[in-house]
Amino acid sequence: MFSFVRRRMYTSALPLIIVLLGVFLLARLTGDPTSLYLPESATEAQREAFAQKNGFDQPMLTQLGDYFTGVLHLDFGTSLRTGESASEMAFRAFPATLQLAFTTMLLAIVGAIVIGCWAAYRPNSLADRFSSLLSMTAASIPDFWFAITGVWLFAVLLGVLPTSGTDGPLAWILPIATLMIRPLGVLTQVVRGAMVSALSAPYVRLARSKGAGDLRVVTHHALRNAAAPALTVAGDLAVGLINGAVVVEAIFGWPGIGKLMIDAILQRDFAVLQAAVLLTAVSIFVLNIAIDACYALLDARVREPARV
Amino acid sequence: MSSRAVLAAGVAVLTVATSGCTVANSGRGGYDPNTLRIVLSQEPPTLEPCESSLTSTGIVVRSNITEPLVERDPNSGDLQPLLSTGWRQTSPTEWTFDIRTGVTFSNGAPFTAADAAFAIDRAVNSDLQCNVDGYVFGDEKLKLAAVDDTTLTVETEKPDPILPLRISFVEIVPRSTSTTEKVREPIGTGPYAVENWDFGQKLTLARNPRYWGTAPAFARAEYQWRSEGSVRAAMITNDETDIATSLGPEDGAGDLGVPFQNNETTALRMQATEAPLNDMRVRQAINYAINRTGIVKALFRGLGDPASQLIPSGVVGYNDQLALWPHDADKAKALVAEAKADGVPVDTQIRLIGRTAQFPKIAETIEVIQSELAEIGLTVKIEMMDTASQLQYQLRPFPANTGPYLLMIMHGNQAGDAAFTMDQYMLSDGPQAAYGTKEFDEKIRAAEALTGQARQDAFAKLFAEEPQEIMQMAYLAHMKGILGKSPRVDYTPNSATGDEMRLSEMTAAGSDRTDAQ
Amino acid sequence: MSTQLDLVPVKPTTAIVGAASTRKSSRAVWFRLLANDRVAACAAAILALVLLTALFGPILMGHVATSIDLDNSNQAPFTLAHGWANVLGTDPLGRSMLARLIVASRTTLSVAIPAVVISAVIGSLIGMWAGFYRGWRETLAMRVADVIMSFPSLLLAVVVLYVFSPSAANIVAVLALTRIPVYLRTARAESAELQSRLFVDAARTFGASATSIITRHVLPIVLPTLLTVATLDFCYVMLAESSLSFLGIGIQPPDVSWGLMVAQGRTYLNSAWWLSFFPGLAIVITTVSATILAAWARIATDPGQRWRLTVPQKRLSRFAKTTKALS
Repeated sequence: MFSFVRRRMYTSALPLIIVLLGVFLLARLTGDPTSLYLPESATEAQREAFAQKNGFDQPMLTQLGDYFTGVLHLDFGTSLRTGESASEMAFRAFPATLQLAFTTMLLAIVGAIVIGCWAAYRPNSLADRFSSLLSMTAASIPDFWFAITGVWLFAVLLGVLPTSGTDGPLAWILPIATLMIRPLGVLTQVVRGAMVSALSAPYVRLARSKGAGDLRVVTHHALRNAAAPALTVAGDLAVGLINGAVVVEAIFGWPGIGKLMIDAILQRDFAVLQAAVLLTAVSIFVLNIAIDACYALLDARVREPARV
Repeated sequence: MSSRAVLAAGVAVLTVATSGCTVANSGRGGYDPNTLRIVLSQEPPTLEPCESSLTSTGIVVRSNITEPLVERDPNSGDLQPLLSTGWRQTSPTEWTFDIRTGVTFSNGAPFTAADAAFAIDRAVNSDLQCNVDGYVFGDEKLKLAAVDDTTLTVETEKPDPILPLRISFVEIVPRSTSTTEKVREPIGTGPYAVENWDFGQKLTLARNPRYWGTAPAFARAEYQWRSEGSVRAAMITNDETDIATSLGPEDGAGDLGVPFQNNETTALRMQATEAPLNDMRVRQAINYAINRTGIVKALFRGLGDPASQLIPSGVVGYNDQLALWPHDADKAKALVAEAKADGVPVDTQIRLIGRTAQFPKIAETIEVIQSELAEIGLTVKIEMMDTASQLQYQLRPFPANTGPYLLMIMHGNQAGDAAFTMDQYMLSDGPQAAYGTKEFDEKIRAAEALTGQARQDAFAKLFAEEPQEIMQMAYLAHMKGILGKSPRVDYTPNSATGDEMRLSEMTAAGSDRTDAQ
Repeated sequence: MSTQLDLVPVKPTTAIVGAASTRKSSRAVWFRLLANDRVAACAAAILALVLLTALFGPILMGHVATSIDLDNSNQAPFTLAHGWANVLGTDPLGRSMLARLIVASRTTLSVAIPAVVISAVIGSLIGMWAGFYRGWRETLAMRVADVIMSFPSLLLAVVVLYVFSPSAANIVAVLALTRIPVYLRTARAESAELQSRLFVDAARTFGASATSIITRHVLPIVLPTLLTVATLDFCYVMLAESSLSFLGIGIQPPDVSWGLMVAQGRTYLNSAWWLSFFPGLAIVITTVSATILAAWARIATDPGQRWRLTVPQKRLSRFAKTTKALS
């Protein structure tokens, strides 16, 4: 197991470098930040001074070299906008998004397993069809629309929740609900589908004939085999939470890394963008390694590469 | 397997619970009647006072944390003494300011003329590339001298009759402030000082005990930020905040939204150096085609006045006799046809460029304009851009090979004098101007040297002549903003509120006031 | 004592259903499979309607959708007072919501369908190839997928669409690119799992080439899962397009898509709820129908599960075996 993880970490190093390179190039392609940061009547001399101070006048390769050297020392430069250290800004914003994402995925997975198993237990019944319809609808709602409607409904009209911000536990409800509906909807369908296949498989008959109770059959036998496709989808959804987080953080004023990245793009703040994207990329790699480890745990066949 | 699962679940719950405390602040527990809560549309990137001509910084800093020597009254247009008690022009190129005594900065350092000289020098003459430098002073360099503790002389290169007005943009900081770097949390003489800045979350100001003037009504002020207008409006109606800025008419603030003239004017700047926009008839046709009254009525819901010039009333130079350009689609079509017959390439695709979310309804306004222009025979393509991209088309140097384009601009004349507008937008080489003529430039410069009524009349005449001689713009409307205000606060927004929101003008509703109702 | 678990339908034996009758044409067989599942048939009908609207609607209603009438702005729906075209209300510029919805369907589908098809084809092919060979090819493909996945797709779209202007083609390209890893991983996982199966081994023993093994053995088994993923992805792409519009870099006016309509209408939730509601409803209905149809297709294309559809639904429960507990 450990060697598996180690192997994966080594093979992840090269993609990480490619990601760093990619974000460097892409950020600079978005254009010149000078007009955003200098006064309107800045002279040529002032523009040159700005470029020189921030290293923009150097040839691209030199900038790239400086960038990679900085990365090795975990120094991403300073934000053009605020003057703070870029890595400090990224590390400050990251835990907020992480909390949101973690709680959301936890609730979504638990909810999906419960609802999906229960629906698969009585396939084609009214309850099953209803929960299927509900989960499909949940997976189809535009998230920002849901968020703003939620604010209007629960905060303004009913007054039971705060509109936005991070004060107190009640303020978590709307952001998490917004982030959660799509993963919950998608995962429920996947779990249900996989469980239906699993429950009608021969080994369930065998387990029943050996006297296994319903709960044991569902959790111990069927769920394990249904876990693989659900795991793939859950991993994809977890990565996609960053996108959802951009919208949620913008609307609810959550000081997370999604909003930081969007602001950095809009403000052409290269240093902050690079730091934030690297942080996100590293965490996604870690997540993928964890998911692959789960695959290996669940299905011993995946652990050994096949002989070709 | 199941015990492992239980263990994993337990660890997960524990992690979430403990980390939950770091982001969520300890509960609000209702609001504190001594704290004023404000929600902005974006976090101030910095509170550096020399950047305070940038709206997102100035709205927090100006006259709250720091103060200038003189301050313009937004309603009357007059300059009021603040850190300076009096000023006079002692020679054509020199002004003398008397400095107020008995003032200390919030860190205890005494305020003298030397600090004033230092602050102005730092903002205008240094290498910091302050925004106030370019916006207010252009290329001008000032020579400053603190004659004694209470007298400051400011010398300009050329005679400048409105120097005190320009000086009103410079916020005063102590001598100890860095001249090599911009500061994020400044020290000043204002009624409030920075207490705590939770980056990304909340900015808190506390009453400055050393303030020289009347203490403000609220002991603390808390700033938060939300980018969605409907969320800001919801916070007002939900009593989560007392003041909400930049609301749109449909955001849902209802009766709690106070409309006010915010000194912004919108217009389409025509890139008159490119065909077919270089033909006066085409530019006139564009002006005829736009239905200003219809747009203001239907899109802005009456929150605005159709405009005939780039400055609103209250600014020195406003021409109150200038009539609106008439809306006549047929005449527009005829002009375009006439130009086409003369060989002007009216079929060239013209780009209609706008900045996303510059003002509420900008997308709809641009769509209406595009359809109106398409109807008169022009080929117009909409391009909505973000701020950074749009600024490339707004500020010199313009990108190469842009082709003809119409740029939606929104100009806020904060200073109250048309000279600022003319310098930026109407001089042929102005930083935000696309076209002009030498003759018109001469007239502008001549007008800028005048004072008093002559100045007002000269500027007004220029605004009347510009459409006839130059026609660089198709004016749209003088905009009105909406401020969300909770019933527990008394405050009347004025034209400066968007750039400079003075907390000391806000009082608790129903509190005892010495002046009569 | 029998429980719910025992009521899960299992495949009926020939003794109950009867011997297979004469072969019908395959078209009729599929149609029969569809008709037996009423919900899926309904979903298929809805999708066909959406497709027809997208193809022919703009021709009929195009000019109505672009006629600006500022006097009629934000009229409420469900009244014929402003003309039959405005039965679903008007937008702030006075244009008919119904007409705009119809014209928008074409734009939305012309972004969503190509994006899904492109990413599905490319992703699955690479995934199956990687899963078949294992070894370094698999590692390479997975790492490429990792690289693409570690860019939050919305951000990648924002950057790309700033650099190259936000046209429909660019949106399709960037959405397709960001979705490739999903198909890649799914196809690879299933393909890798199949390598250890006996029939693949047997095919290799016979000397079948990689291509033929992939197309003849791997593809049919992986296809149902891929179809399910593709339809869920279709839904995601439509929502991603609306998020791009929320950020201001999706489809640009005067073009219109459902996502853009929802984004534009969000500032009017208080005063003109229909601006966001109807396009949102259109998105939900289309994607739910697509998902239902995909679930049906998953069963119909899986030879091991097809029996569920050979019998009309309401008779399905008759084949549940009620066994007594064996204790």
